[in-house]
Amino acid sequence: VGHPGTCRVLSIQSHVVRGYVGNKSALFPLQVLGFEVDSINSVQFSNHTGYAHWKGQVLTAEELNVLYEGIKLNKVNHYDYILTGYSRDTSFLEMVVDIIQELKKANPSLVYVCDPVMGDHGAMYVPEILLPVYRDKVVPLADILTPNQFEAELLTGRKINTQEDPLSALQVMDLLHKMGPETVVLTSTDLLSKHGDKFLVALGSQKLTKPDGTNSNQKICMDIPKVDAVFVGTGDLFAAMLLAWTHLHPKDLKTACEKTVSVMHHVIHRTITYANDVAGPGKRPSPAQLELRMVQSKADIENPSVVVEAKVL
Amino acid sequence: MECRVLSIQSHVVRGYVGNKSASFPLQVLGFEVDSINSVQFSNHTGYSHWKGQVLTADELHVLYEGIKLNNVHHYDYVLTGYTRDTSFLEMVVDIVQELKRANPNLVYVCDPVLGDHGSMYVPQNLYPVYKNKVVPVADIITPNQFEAELLTGKTISTEKDAVEVMDLLHAMGPDTVVITSSDLPPRLGDRFLVSLGSQRHVRPDGSRTTQRVRIEVPKVDAVFVGTGDLFAAMLLAWTHHYPNDLKTACEKTFSVMHHVIQRTISYAHDLAGPGRRPSPPQLELRMVQSKADIEDPAIVTEATVIS
Repeated sequence: VGHPGTCRVLSIQSHVVRGYVGNKSALFPLQVLGFEVDSINSVQFSNHTGYAHWKGQVLTAEELNVLYEGIKLNKVNHYDYILTGYSRDTSFLEMVVDIIQELKKANPSLVYVCDPVMGDHGAMYVPEILLPVYRDKVVPLADILTPNQFEAELLTGRKINTQEDPLSALQVMDLLHKMGPETVVLTSTDLLSKHGDKFLVALGSQKLTKPDGTNSNQKICMDIPKVDAVFVGTGDLFAAMLLAWTHLHPKDLKTACEKTVSVMHHVIHRTITYANDVAGPGKRPSPAQLELRMVQSKADIENPSVVVEAKVL
Repeated sequence: MECRVLSIQSHVVRGYVGNKSASFPLQVLGFEVDSINSVQFSNHTGYSHWKGQVLTADELHVLYEGIKLNNVHHYDYVLTGYTRDTSFLEMVVDIVQELKRANPNLVYVCDPVLGDHGSMYVPQNLYPVYKNKVVPVADIITPNQFEAELLTGKTISTEKDAVEVMDLLHAMGPDTVVITSSDLPPRLGDRFLVSLGSQRHVRPDGSRTTQRVRIEVPKVDAVFVGTGDLFAAMLLAWTHHYPNDLKTACEKTFSVMHHVIQRTISYAHDLAGPGRRPSPPQLELRMVQSKADIEDPAIVTEATVIS
């Protein structure tokens, strides 16, 4: 596996004292793969909000700016990647946009990996006013985007016809490309998998400029085994690992996605096995028991055996 | 290994101090690390500039309450380091006491950061809090010579003095004491510094025994930040794996430090260029690059058992 050298990521996400979401989900795997990760914690909570209780504090847009100012004053505001995820605050998100614009001026090759977290299964779980900020300001800056089907539909204003094979999904991804990002991965869709209803379909599309100046577009499709449990933090892990594997396989979305999805599979599988063991027979595991088995999955993170193949469309 | 650590330390956006220094190496060694960030700063305070926000004692309490309400306040270890605020430190003590009630086997690893080279670099009013409240609930402490002298009121001029100071520290609470650095004359020459460790055990028959070790560590001509935090975290890890063998735990811990520091100083000099002193950003620990050494440190420093 190639070493990323001195590749520096700025990750602006939540911090939880216990468990693996946001920066807690992204940092360890990226560090294990050799990336230098600077992290700004947008909130500090005791744990994720799927537990019975949660408590903590949020960072304001102004406080975010102060932290960035510190980095800038020391002239160390040079990053190869930025990674962002779940956000609830429009002014915070707009400050993130300002910071990214400035970082892109400092390094025009910077790659912004954006998970446009807004909702799932037909409903938004962030304030509605975030949609225009994502659509008009965030996504145009993004280079890699990891929406689920619902988020892709919201951003483009276009519904994906799940009966129509992948065609309408591919069209929505093309619309997303036009908005900005060269790499789009639809992390989950309601499309029917040819392997049956125990699988979900994910799609990826990457626009590349060939050395001769012409454009090419690789599109891939993956059938991913569904898991009968609610995990939190998996989207954050996905975006972080997609960052890593597209970095290590920059013109090969097929391989990048196979590795990313395979890491997810190993971590989730280890987690569900452990959770079921801890909960006991016939009992549904609790959110605490379902925390990702992240440190236990180090070897899989470092060198994931490929267990899901991507088909080039 | 199912071992959960609660680490209450600083967070910096960039670089490796506090929780940034402790979490990755502990996670790489398979520990589950819950972390409460006592501050969030852009970088450590050795840079030209630094900016950020601090957590109040109340906010710390609120976070702990969240953990407690979910009934997940069960830890095998607590780890603390640099603090500037007495009310925050007192809240930490309350939390540690409650966690010890929840798990009487909990081990509290405490770096009593007060100062170095003869002067305090935290507010003076922290000293009585450490002495009267924190150290008595600690199980493992990692003072430097200045901090050990301050806490016991006794100066160290000889190895015999150091042994007496460590015995005084044992009497205050902790069964394991490592004086991380001292001005004692090294046998290996002036390019080394002397560290000492002492661990008290109770034999099955109820009698007490103390293992004492002396380690000579190569000096490095640079100012590192975050090394003390890495040291405490790795001492936690290696005493966990070698609970009755302070010699081996120290050899592994000091060896990891050596590898990380060597890698860091080489890199920093490369970056700075010939004849130039590296800057604080250039001297940030090469933590992620040292993963293999963290996982399985080749022993490069031997500890001598002393009486």
